Amino acid sequence: MIRYALTRLALLVVGLLVASALIFTVLRVLPGDVAQLIAGTQGSPEQIARIREELGLNRPLWEQYVAWIGGVVRGDLGTSMLTGSSVAGQLWEKAQVTVPLGLLAMLVALLIAVPFGVLSAVRRGRADGTAISVVSQALAAVPVVWAGMMLVVLFAVVLGWLPAQGFPRSGWSTPDLALRSLVLPALTIGIVEGAMLLRFVRSATLQAVGQDFVRTGAAKGLTRTQALIRHGLPSVGLSIVTVMGLQVAGIVVGAVVIELVFNLPGIGRMLATDVGSRDLVMVQGELLVLTGFVLLIGFVVDLVHHSIDPRQREA
Amino acid sequence: MHRFPTRHPRRAAVAGVAAAVAVALAGCTSTPSEAPTGEPDPEATLRLGLVLEPENLDIRHTSGAAIEQILIDNVYEGLVTRTQENEIVASLAEDYEISEDGLTYTFTLADGVTFHDGGELTASDVVATYNEVRNDETLIGHAQLAHVTAVDAPDERTVVLTLDQPDQNLLFSLTGPAGLVFDEGDDTDLKTAANGTGPFTLENWTQGDGLTLARFDDYWGDAAGVSAVEISYIPDFTAGVNAALDGSLDVLTAVQPELSPQLDGQNGFTLTRGATTDKATLAFNNQREPLDDVRVREALRLAIDHDALIEAVGAGATQFGPIPALDPGYEDLSDVAPFDPERAQELLAEAGQEDLSLTLTIPSFYGTTVSTYLVSAFNDIGVDLKVDPVEFGTWLQDVYTNKDYDLSFVLHVEPRDFSNFADPDYYFGYDNAEVQELYAEAMATVDAEESAALLAQAARIVAEDHAADWLYTGETITAVGQGVTGFPVDSINSRIDLSAVTLATP
Repeated sequence: MIRYALTRLALLVVGLLVASALIFTVLRVLPGDVAQLIAGTQGSPEQIARIREELGLNRPLWEQYVAWIGGVVRGDLGTSMLTGSSVAGQLWEKAQVTVPLGLLAMLVALLIAVPFGVLSAVRRGRADGTAISVVSQALAAVPVVWAGMMLVVLFAVVLGWLPAQGFPRSGWSTPDLALRSLVLPALTIGIVEGAMLLRFVRSATLQAVGQDFVRTGAAKGLTRTQALIRHGLPSVGLSIVTVMGLQVAGIVVGAVVIELVFNLPGIGRMLATDVGSRDLVMVQGELLVLTGFVLLIGFVVDLVHHSIDPRQREA
Repeated sequence: MHRFPTRHPRRAAVAGVAAAVAVALAGCTSTPSEAPTGEPDPEATLRLGLVLEPENLDIRHTSGAAIEQILIDNVYEGLVTRTQENEIVASLAEDYEISEDGLTYTFTLADGVTFHDGGELTASDVVATYNEVRNDETLIGHAQLAHVTAVDAPDERTVVLTLDQPDQNLLFSLTGPAGLVFDEGDDTDLKTAANGTGPFTLENWTQGDGLTLARFDDYWGDAAGVSAVEISYIPDFTAGVNAALDGSLDVLTAVQPELSPQLDGQNGFTLTRGATTDKATLAFNNQREPLDDVRVREALRLAIDHDALIEAVGAGATQFGPIPALDPGYEDLSDVAPFDPERAQELLAEAGQEDLSLTLTIPSFYGTTVSTYLVSAFNDIGVDLKVDPVEFGTWLQDVYTNKDYDLSFVLHVEPRDFSNFADPDYYFGYDNAEVQELYAEAMATVDAEESAALLAQAARIVAEDHAADWLYTGETITAVGQGVTGFPVDSINSRIDLSAVTLATP
């Protein structure tokens, strides 16, 4: 187990290094120049050259990369070219919106997927089971943006129950306001992701129903549902963990879009803005942390899998 | 300067769907407007929604309309400022005098002006700040003070600017970043904080979200009408409209024309349409074949039905020359390029360009209305137009710096920027010695009316040369909520003076 974990961890570090080089290179290929954007269209070539020099943009690329990665290793993600604020500080500030949003969205997704997924499997062939299946297929196909718009129109504009956009300036020092402003965005991501997850839960449950240990349980006097819950669900749980790990990436992507639609000052909106203004140091840091996060989730999922599933241990 | 459009992710299609649903739903639930509200409340907080957030708050080093729009007049002040109609009026200088030869400007400072940190404004602050702009080329406005040869303070209340030649634009330049006055020797970090003399102090800035202004109690002039202004930056147009509809904003600007019906008369909002100096410019690369042929440029202009285009865009006024109605030198030039597709085809035939194919480079933020219209209009005269939507940063590099383009579309928001047509190195590549002479003469003329007449003369030549097409002058739609009075209407994309705004709380 420890050997597996160490190998897997080494893989994670290599992955992160490769990602950092990719992120750095791809951003340099993008046309557009932060110095030009700072100087605007009235800036003279001399002025732009001086800004480039101040920002270190005239140094060779490999030198810039080494300086950046060296800083990251020492725990310093750098400072924004435009605002002079620290990348880590900004990430920490914006994470206080994005992380709760992601967790809430995940919660919504699970609350939808697990009960309804199991139900639609158990009730397969009956009207309610089929209905859940059809509705989930339709919901999974809905674009996140459109779902958000519809929820806003209904719950914020027409009913006036929840704020349509924004996050309280006071942040989490007013927890009720902060939470209220995350409800609609979390529902938006959660419903769409939940509908997708539901289909995995359903097929995993169907598979479990057909397994020997469930049938044996039923033969020993348990009802089919009891047998399923006691013996089948643990194996279903395993596949849910795997799929959820994959879905973290989906939720991160969803957050970028949804933070713009709901005007939430989170990491997603920050990323979109910083790409636009070519604040490369900022974007690099943001992408690296997001990539690291997704890789880490994959790492944890693999470890959980490895420790739960006896078949993998021998491998 | 251009409006920084990279901040506007635009989802026109989605917005359209949501708008349709919202209108349909609003139809059955619209509430009757509330009873008239009471007296203005001096302790009220005004909640203002804006689209464009400044990159940072350092107005001395960062260009951009967003930063000037909110900081000038509210937080920072110059010796002079300008009204919504672009007229120059006194500000920190209670009085000023220009010598007859136009070479000496004498300003008398207002009394009792203090900076937000308590320091007193003296003539030596002005001298120090203006000399910094003159000596440091990385400061915004450096080039605008090129003709100033000395800044002196004969006494504590008097500042004298000496020029080497008359400069008709100098006073106007002083209404911008070049003319703002800072406290001498102050070490405030201007990227995130501010120390000005304006009616509001900068209370806090949450990057990527918004900023708060608070009334400055020791302000030397009339106190601001509200105790605070909470500004939210909402880059998504639909999110902005939603914020107004759910009651979290008192004022929203700028509203997209296609979304404005959702706010008109809803929840107590009324719409104002404000004049701007935003020139929606269809630039021709005057240096590149076949656009170096004036017949081709004229043909393209004649193919455009400007009224139809404005109707499609949803807001705007026609403008047929380089100078918009709010700037000196404006005259109606509609006779220069009347809609005439038949004549356009004749011109193309004369120029031997019957199978013309051109590319339009357009920052993707502007959406598709303009490019779709142009594709169809040019198609009608047999010109094949390809559209290349790019990010603003890419536009700056390809079009603005490298001049690698055929046609380009961008909103030029800066007032009094006729000089771009007198500068052959500008990305338009328009090079006409007569225009350059007339412009130089206009700038060096002491009499303002004479200067405007010269500008008008130069503008007519540029228009008749078809150096570009001016598709329309922009309009700013603002949704003003119930109980709000005194919110400015015109020119608010370059300056929002909030000092006279009041809010009555119900």
